[in-house]
Amino acid sequence: MLAILVIAPLIVSSILALLLIRHGTIVKYVSLIGSLGSLAFIYAVSQNAVSAQSMHWFSIGSLTVNIATYTYPLNMLLLWLVGIITPLIFSYSIGFMERNSEQGRFFFEMGLFASGMMLFAIAGSLITMFIGWELLGITSYLLIGFWYAKSDAAPAARKAITIVLFGDILMLIAIVMIWNSYHTFSIGQIVSNPSNALYIPLLLIMVAAFTKSAQFPFHEWLPAAMAGPTPVSAFLHSSTMVKAGVFLIASLFTLYMDAHLLPVILIVGLISAAFGASNAAAERHIKKILAYSTIEDLGLMFVALGLGAFAAAVLLFIVQAFYKALLFMDAGALMRTNSENYDIFRIYGARMKKTLLVATLFGVVSIAGIFPLGGFFAKASIGSAAASTNLIAYMVLLAIELVTGFYIFRWYIIPMRSPPQSDTTRMRNSYKLLPKSMIAPSIILSALTAASALAYYYLPIILTQSPYVPGYVFGAYTGAAPTIGIADAAAETAFIAIGAYAAYLLYSRRRAPALYTHRLLSRAVYNAPLVNRAYSAFAAAFAAIGSGIYWFDSVLYSIFRAVALSAIEMGAVLRRMVNGQTSTYLLAFALGVVIIIMLYVK
Amino acid sequence: MQGALMLVTFLPFVFLAVALIVDKERSLAAAAISSAVSMAILIYITVFSSINATESFSYISIIPISFTLRLSPASFMLLIMSYIVLIAASIAGNHERQSQKLAASLILLLQVAASGLFLSGNLFLYFIFWDVGVVSSFFFLYSLGSPQRGPAAMKFLIYEMFASVFLLLGIITIYFGTPVHSFNIAYIAAHAASIPVASQITVFVLLAVAFLTNMGIFPLHFWLPDAYTEASTQGSMVLSAILSKFGAFGIFLLFAILPAGAELAKYIALLGGISAFYAAFLMMSHKDIKRVMSYTSIMEMGIILIGLSSLNVIGTYGAIYAMLAHGLTIALMFLAAGSMVHVFGTRDIRTLAGMVSNAKAAAYSFLLSTFAATGLPLTTGFIADLLIFIGAYSAFGILGVVPLLAIVLFGAYMYFAIEKSVLSTKKESVAVARTSNGQAFGYALLVGSILLFGMFPFLLLGLVKI
Repeated sequence: MLAILVIAPLIVSSILALLLIRHGTIVKYVSLIGSLGSLAFIYAVSQNAVSAQSMHWFSIGSLTVNIATYTYPLNMLLLWLVGIITPLIFSYSIGFMERNSEQGRFFFEMGLFASGMMLFAIAGSLITMFIGWELLGITSYLLIGFWYAKSDAAPAARKAITIVLFGDILMLIAIVMIWNSYHTFSIGQIVSNPSNALYIPLLLIMVAAFTKSAQFPFHEWLPAAMAGPTPVSAFLHSSTMVKAGVFLIASLFTLYMDAHLLPVILIVGLISAAFGASNAAAERHIKKILAYSTIEDLGLMFVALGLGAFAAAVLLFIVQAFYKALLFMDAGALMRTNSENYDIFRIYGARMKKTLLVATLFGVVSIAGIFPLGGFFAKASIGSAAASTNLIAYMVLLAIELVTGFYIFRWYIIPMRSPPQSDTTRMRNSYKLLPKSMIAPSIILSALTAASALAYYYLPIILTQSPYVPGYVFGAYTGAAPTIGIADAAAETAFIAIGAYAAYLLYSRRRAPALYTHRLLSRAVYNAPLVNRAYSAFAAAFAAIGSGIYWFDSVLYSIFRAVALSAIEMGAVLRRMVNGQTSTYLLAFALGVVIIIMLYVK
Repeated sequence: MQGALMLVTFLPFVFLAVALIVDKERSLAAAAISSAVSMAILIYITVFSSINATESFSYISIIPISFTLRLSPASFMLLIMSYIVLIAASIAGNHERQSQKLAASLILLLQVAASGLFLSGNLFLYFIFWDVGVVSSFFFLYSLGSPQRGPAAMKFLIYEMFASVFLLLGIITIYFGTPVHSFNIAYIAAHAASIPVASQITVFVLLAVAFLTNMGIFPLHFWLPDAYTEASTQGSMVLSAILSKFGAFGIFLLFAILPAGAELAKYIALLGGISAFYAAFLMMSHKDIKRVMSYTSIMEMGIILIGLSSLNVIGTYGAIYAMLAHGLTIALMFLAAGSMVHVFGTRDIRTLAGMVSNAKAAAYSFLLSTFAATGLPLTTGFIADLLIFIGAYSAFGILGVVPLLAIVLFGAYMYFAIEKSVLSTKKESVAVARTSNGQAFGYALLVGSILLFGMFPFLLLGLVKI
């Protein structure tokens, strides 16, 4: 079966959503069916393990551009992730958007977003990949700015697209350079013939991946993107968009290894993870905490890649998709019951919905990295990889684990407080009114989060089971299973426990003045305003160059004008000379005669 | 098929008569039909006859100037773009419903100019149709548009006349340079190698000055922002989409006929690169939406110039595709800007706020045209950028791709403009603008073409078989 067909149901349902824009109630079911259709097609495609397909798109001179797909176990994993999470998100959206009048536009954009990621996942040529990559950027822009009337949505959307556009253009430069040295866009052929000509393109692609995956110093667009609807956040952070950058580096892993760029990836990953964790610990916005934690998770994936622990990175990649989608869904439900309040100190009564509370706990335990959920295996295997190769990185990772344990339990505990007495009945009611379509996906996801621990055992089999094209992608690394040292796992768990206990002490039963510690924390670790100020300074620098050139332009124009005016002036002078008066001509004649005589008679 | 190209070129005159006879509400429809018919004939010729069709009629016999028309892949793509833009401009462009007969006549004259110029097989015709285009554009600018259009129109005329003089000078020089004096482009191209390099360079410089002025390339760009800004919506659309291509097409011809042009290619590319960055930076100091769009045009023209001077098939035809892309995109931008200005009565992006809730079609069109201009895949802009920069990289190495960064600057500012004008909410409520059927058709036509030629570039590239 043609792999490209996996996006067909979603594309069709998106177009239908656009056509049925005035019939809001049907749109959501059409989209849900579309996403399930894509899932069925993914199943069909996954029946053949490795397959390359290509369709001619256009050609000009010696350049031929194909729409090519290449499916192999690694990208089938990504495809499955997207395929499974899409219907869950869509189902959640049905409940979430029930009061919104613009469902047609929402589901249209969501459908395109999902199909962009699927196209990216199965791409076999740089061009196909770039189409998916850009489709993600544009639709995320539209989705982040979905509630354009909100004062923070439009700037957030702009921030995202500006940073992503920078990455896109770097990527295009890389593609252009690669074509000129390889005369092909086929990823397989490029990866199997590494050469020095790839060094600069790889560097550019790496920076592009950092912009897409919100890594330092490009990370601030991700927390700002929380201005979008919650289903978008859940989608963007779990299996689409931000995962594209990590996946790209992972699928070109051997090239980065050969080019000795892994240390750069390691350092950027560590810095981003540290930034993410520290900001998450101080932030009060319920979704932004999770956004910073995504930056941290993505940073950890890059750390794993940087350490050469390919399988550990893929493991976290899988596990994170489930728990992050789950946590965001819960955050959205809490905000909804607390009349769209986003400050965790103003959100109450999470205890009132026991199913949600328990489902969320799976996500919290997994993200913290506590045995036996998926997060534990992923984070512990990254820790073990660091412990055996790079001690400094290991220290930083332990510190990050400590902070992670702290902030995620802080995030979990604070909203559990009981609401003020007067609000209790109203709150109880609003928890009861949460639509089933919002709860059901959470329960499914919590089961998946628990099940994702199995990936630790099956990942090596999945990645090696099927025959590969010789030398393709990560040939030598498929066998390397994620490994966990007992001591490392113990140390990691201990640090998490300390963090979690600190959160419990500080925030449970009001033993500590929460706001006071918050302010203290802010000064120490909350550096988001600083980063934003740096962005503004950067923009201002370009604006200053702009005004400089504006000044230059006006000067240049005045020079042009002066030259033109002087021509007119010259005309005026000439006009005075040729005024037709005999006396003037006679005078000129006489002067001329005198000059000639003076010249000849010396 | 003899005479078909002639028909394409002069058909608008028939419709000009029709447009002047029918009542004024229908005159613009006549102009649109004229373009549609011409487009149909052109496609018919290409599919059933040949993309390289040539027609020749004797014209002036004392100095042998024949009336030679020839179709080529480049002219085919540019004509398709021109006709689409002309149709959209005539049906959707006149929001104010003012001077419709005048507008229709000028659009038809511009159609003659565009058809004749892109099809002209000799430089003499090229010059004549060039001036037809300039003069009708001047009247477009001078008689329709904002209250401040007068000085802008004069500025435009002065610069274009300046260009015209250089054009004539260059054409005459090349006429006397050829072994058997001739204006015929095919003949010159075949025999240009025998012209001394020095005189080739002279001709190249003379003509390039003319063409670069028309394109609005730095430092000859001063007329452009004023003209595009003060023109009426229709005026801005046709000026930016079609008239600017006269120069770009000229540079394309110049590189094709003069082998010595290769020596100057890097300087031309440098000018293109400078223009792209210059315009992208200059844009940032402006808040007038139409002025910002004019600088977009300068930037795109710079990038097109880079593609043309890469002198390889990919870069050159990438530039041609970029001309098509730019024509459709900028026309859509100005059409959207026109209805914003019409609805809100202001061109300042800070006071336009909230378009998306008050003028949906215009807002989304503006959004899509920005996407296309930043080279989003599945729009024409991507094909153009990809081809141009592959060509430029193989010609100039890493320096060839640096101008792509100008697109980042442009995009950053455009998204800022969109945030302010399209997305943010307006303080006081404004009447919701109803999109008329004509306007909806215009938007649909341009958006549809941008997506069609972006998703299925083989439709054009396969037809012309480069």
